[in-house]
Amino acid sequence: MNRLPFIDRRSLIKTAASGAAAALVLPSLSRPSWADETALSVFSPLPPDPAPPGAAKFSEEAFAAWQKANSAKVTYDMVAWPQLHDKMATAFASGEHVWDVVYMSGWVPELAKFLVPFAKNLPKELIDDLPKSSFSTVTWDGQSSGVVFTLSLLTLFYNTELLQKAGFTAPPKTWDELKNVAKECTRDGNYGWVLNYGDPAGIGGTASYWMCFLQQAGGKLYNEDGSPAFNSDAGILALQMMMDLMPYSDPGSISYVGINDATNVMTAGKAAMMMNWPFMWKSANDPASSKIVGKLAGALLPAGPAGSASIDGTDAWTITKTSKNPELATKLIEFYLDKDVQKRQAIDTGWLPIRLSVLSDPDVQKALPNAAVVLEQANHPYDSYVTPDYNEVTVALGTEINKALAGKSSAKDAIAEAANLVAAIVKKRG
Amino acid sequence: MAARQSILGRAGIVLALVVFVFAATGPIVWLLLSSVLQQQALTSIPPDLSPSSFTLANYLEVFSSAAQLGRAIINSLIVATFTTALAIILGAPAAYALARLEIKHAGTILLMVLAAQMFPAIVIAIPLFITASKLGLIDTKLLLILVYLSFNLPIVIWVLRGFFMGLPLGLERAARVDGASPLQTFLRIVLPISLPSLFAAAIFAFIEAWNEFFFALIMTRQTAQTVPLAISAFAGQYQTMFGQMMAAAAISVAPIILLTILLRNTILRGFADGMLKG
Amino acid sequence: MAPLFLAPALIVLALLLAYPVLYSIWLSLTDASLSAGQLDTPFSGLDNYRRLIGDKSVLAALLNTLYFTVVEVIGVVVLGLLTALLLNHPMARWSGFRVFLLLPWAIAPVANAVLWKWIYHSNYGILNSLLLQLGLIDHNVTWLGDPFRALNMVLLVDIWKSTPFIAILFLAALQNIPKTLYRAARVDGASTFEAFRFITLPSLNTAIAIAVILQTIWSLRVFDLIFVLTKGGPADGTVVMNFLAYRVTFNFLKFGYGAALANIIFLASLLLSIIYVRLMNPGAPRGR
Repeated sequence: MNRLPFIDRRSLIKTAASGAAAALVLPSLSRPSWADETALSVFSPLPPDPAPPGAAKFSEEAFAAWQKANSAKVTYDMVAWPQLHDKMATAFASGEHVWDVVYMSGWVPELAKFLVPFAKNLPKELIDDLPKSSFSTVTWDGQSSGVVFTLSLLTLFYNTELLQKAGFTAPPKTWDELKNVAKECTRDGNYGWVLNYGDPAGIGGTASYWMCFLQQAGGKLYNEDGSPAFNSDAGILALQMMMDLMPYSDPGSISYVGINDATNVMTAGKAAMMMNWPFMWKSANDPASSKIVGKLAGALLPAGPAGSASIDGTDAWTITKTSKNPELATKLIEFYLDKDVQKRQAIDTGWLPIRLSVLSDPDVQKALPNAAVVLEQANHPYDSYVTPDYNEVTVALGTEINKALAGKSSAKDAIAEAANLVAAIVKKRG
Repeated sequence: MAARQSILGRAGIVLALVVFVFAATGPIVWLLLSSVLQQQALTSIPPDLSPSSFTLANYLEVFSSAAQLGRAIINSLIVATFTTALAIILGAPAAYALARLEIKHAGTILLMVLAAQMFPAIVIAIPLFITASKLGLIDTKLLLILVYLSFNLPIVIWVLRGFFMGLPLGLERAARVDGASPLQTFLRIVLPISLPSLFAAAIFAFIEAWNEFFFALIMTRQTAQTVPLAISAFAGQYQTMFGQMMAAAAISVAPIILLTILLRNTILRGFADGMLKG
Repeated sequence: MAPLFLAPALIVLALLLAYPVLYSIWLSLTDASLSAGQLDTPFSGLDNYRRLIGDKSVLAALLNTLYFTVVEVIGVVVLGLLTALLLNHPMARWSGFRVFLLLPWAIAPVANAVLWKWIYHSNYGILNSLLLQLGLIDHNVTWLGDPFRALNMVLLVDIWKSTPFIAILFLAALQNIPKTLYRAARVDGASTFEAFRFITLPSLNTAIAIAVILQTIWSLRVFDLIFVLTKGGPADGTVVMNFLAYRVTFNFLKFGYGAALANIIFLASLLLSIIYVRLMNPGAPRGR
C-alpha cells in the first residue's frame, strides 16, 4: 500500500523518532493550544481506511488554508478501524467531551442521542449534490445526524482471466448465471466465490451480506411497524442462494472474520468473484500486494427475482453534542465535502466521492474505472437497515445464517429462528 | 539389558527434546520467516521461499506506516518500566509484611489483594475511563502505568511473599538480636539476598505490562498508544499485509525474548519458588 | 511497624480499584444503556442476574467456557508436567531449552493471535502446507470453519501459550525434591515408574493443585485470542463467557447486563482463589 519514495520514508522515520522524543514530555505540554485559534478534534480511522485530508495524504494544502481562514486548529485522533467502535462507545458512556467530529459506520442510530442533527443546516447546493438514499443510514427518528462522505456500495468484482479460462466473456447478470459462473470457475485449485462469513455483526458482517440477497429477492428486513418481515419466501430464497454458492466458495470464507481476509484471496488470484466495496479497486491494482493487476473488473451485483440491490457502507461524519463549536465543525465537514477535496480523495486515496457531480467527473472516472459501476449500482435499491440495536440484530441474524452456511441447519429453519430472535430484540426496542 | 534400555531411553529423550523444541519454537520461527517475505511469496502455495522473495521492506513499512510503531515502542518501554518499578517498590515491603510481620487478618488481606487483580477488565474499564477523563488522564502514559499497577502489584506481592516465606530465618533473627528495626532488617538483610526473586517478579510485571491489550485499547488514542495496539492496527478494515503484521509482531517480541535469554535462570528459580512456597 | 510496610501498596490498590469495582457491582444492578444520550442507569435490582438464567446465548457460552476450561486445564497440566519431567532430565540441562520453553509465554497475546491466524489460514497457512507435505491431509482444511473445530483450534493455541508457565512451576517443584529419595528408592530396587509414582507425583501434589487452580482462573479470562482469531464465530462456536460479556457491553452497549455477565466470571475466579489461598495456607505468618 504505502509505496513511498525512499526519501519520503526516511523523513517519516525521522518524524516518528521526534514524535517519540516529544512523547516523553507531558502530553499537556506537547499539545499547545493557542488562544486565538479554535481547536477541533476529529476521530478518524487510520488510512488506508477512509480518512480526511491531513489524516490521509490528500488536499493537504487546501486543508492548511482552510484552517488558516477559519482560525481553526484541527487535531486528529486516528485509530485502526476495528478499534473505533469500542473507543467511541466508552468515550460516549463517560459523558466527557472528547471529540467534535466523529467518523461513523452504521452506528448513527445507536448513538444518535449523542450527536447533533446538523445535516439540515448544510447548504442546499451541497445536499442536492448528494444521493438521497445516502442519508437513510444516518437518519433516525427523522433527524439526520451525519453526512456520508464516500459512496461505498457493495458491487461485484471478478477476475477476467479466471472467467475467460472457464469460457465466460461477461460477468454474471442473474443469480442463475452467478451460480453457473461460480461453478465453472471452481477448478485448478481456484474458487468461484469468496467472502467473509466469520463475523456475523455489523456492516460487512454475514448478516449484511444476506441483506443484499434479501433485497435482490424482493424482501425487506422490517415491516412498517418495525417487526421482522424477513421470515418470507424472499428471506429463505436469499439464504438458499448463499448456501448454493458454498460448494463453489473458498471453504475458508466461513472462517474469515474481515473483508480483508477475503480480499487477500481475491487479489492472490485464487478466487474468480466476490462482492466488495469500491476501495478494493485500488488495492487490487497495487503490484506490491496484488497478483491480479489489470485483471480485475467490476459489475452490478447479479439480479435476483426482484433485480439488483446492494447495501451501503455508510462512512459518515457526525458532530457530537458536547462540541462547543458545532458551527465550525459543520464548516469542517463542508470542507471535507468540497468538490476539489472530494476529487482529490477519489484520485489520491481510492475512496470514491459521494457528490454526484464529482462522481461523474471525467478525471475521477478515468482514475477509478469502477466509479461508473458503483454509480449504476446506486440506481438500484440499497438499504443497510441500520437501527439502534443493529449490532444485536446482526449478531442474531448472522449467527443463524452462519449455521446454515456451515450445513448445520436448513435455510427455512435458520430464517425462522432468526426471525424469532430479532422479534425479541425489536420488542425491547419499545 | 540395562544398557540397551538406557540406550533406548536416551533415544526417547532425544526424540522428546526434538518434539519439544519444534513445538515451542516452530511457530515463532515461522513468525520470523514470514516477516522477511514479500506478500506475493506468502500468498503462493506452497510459500515461495526462493532467495528473491526475501525482503526487509516489511520492517521499513512497519516503521514508516501511520500506525507509528516507533512511538508505540517508546511508550510501551516507558509504561512497562515504570509499572514494574512501582510494583516492586510498593509490593516488596507489603509482601515482606505479609510473610514475616504480625498482621491481623493476613489471610483476608491476601485474598483481597489476589481478588483485586481478578476483576474483569471489561467491567472496570468504564468506571476507570470516567474517572480518568475527569482527571484529564485519558491517552497518557501515567494512566496506563496506574491501571497496570492495579493488576501487577497484587501479582508482585503474591510472588514475593512466597519467596520471603521461604528464606531461612537465621539471618533476620540475628539482625533482630543486634537491635535492628524491621525496616533495617528488610533493607539491609532481606533485600540483598532476594535479588533473584525481585528480578523474577519484575520480569513478570514487565511482560504483563508490555503485552496488555484491552485497557490500552480503551484508554489511549494516539499519543500513548502501545505496541499491542500498533500490531493490531496492521489488520485494517479492508486489507491485511501478512508480512507487515508478522514484522510488527516480531519487533514486539524481541525485547521480551532478549530479557528471557538474559535472565532465564533467574526467572525459573525466583518466580516458581514464589508461586509454590507458602 | 507492619502497617507501614503494607499500607502504601494497599492504599494504592484501594485508590485504583475501589471505585471501579463498586461501580461495576452497582452497574450490574441497573439496566444501564446509552439510550438517553448519556449513560443512563435505572436501578433494576437482580433483574440482570435473573435474565442470565433463561438466556440461551449465556447457556451456550457457559458450556463453551466449561469445555474450554476443562480441556485446557487438563491439557496444560499434563503437557506442563511432561515438559518439566523432560527438562529435568540430566540430558536436558542446557539452558537453551529453558529459553525455548519461555518463548510461547513471553509473546504478546495479540501478536500470538495474529501469528496463529496466519498459521491456520485455510489457503496460505503453514499448517495446511505442512500437513499436506507430510501426507496427513489430502486437501486444505478450514481450521476455523466449523464451530466445534474452531473452538478446539483456539484451545490448542491457548494450551501452547499457557503450558510453559505451568511447566516452570513444575520444574521448580521437581528441583526441590531431595535427590536422596531417588537414590534410596534405587537401592530398594524400585523401577523408574515406581519412583515416579511413589516419589515424584506425591511431591508434586501442591504444585499440581496450584497449577490447576491458576490455570482455571486464566482459562476463564481468555479474550484477546478469540477477539482476533474468530470474533466468536463461526456460528457462535467460540463465544466464551468473557467474550460474551465484551460483546454485550461494547457491541450491544448494554452496560448493566454486560457487567452482570462479567461479575459471574469474577465470582467464579474469586471462589477458585479462595481455594488457592486455602491450599497455600497463609494463616499464621512464620517466624519473626
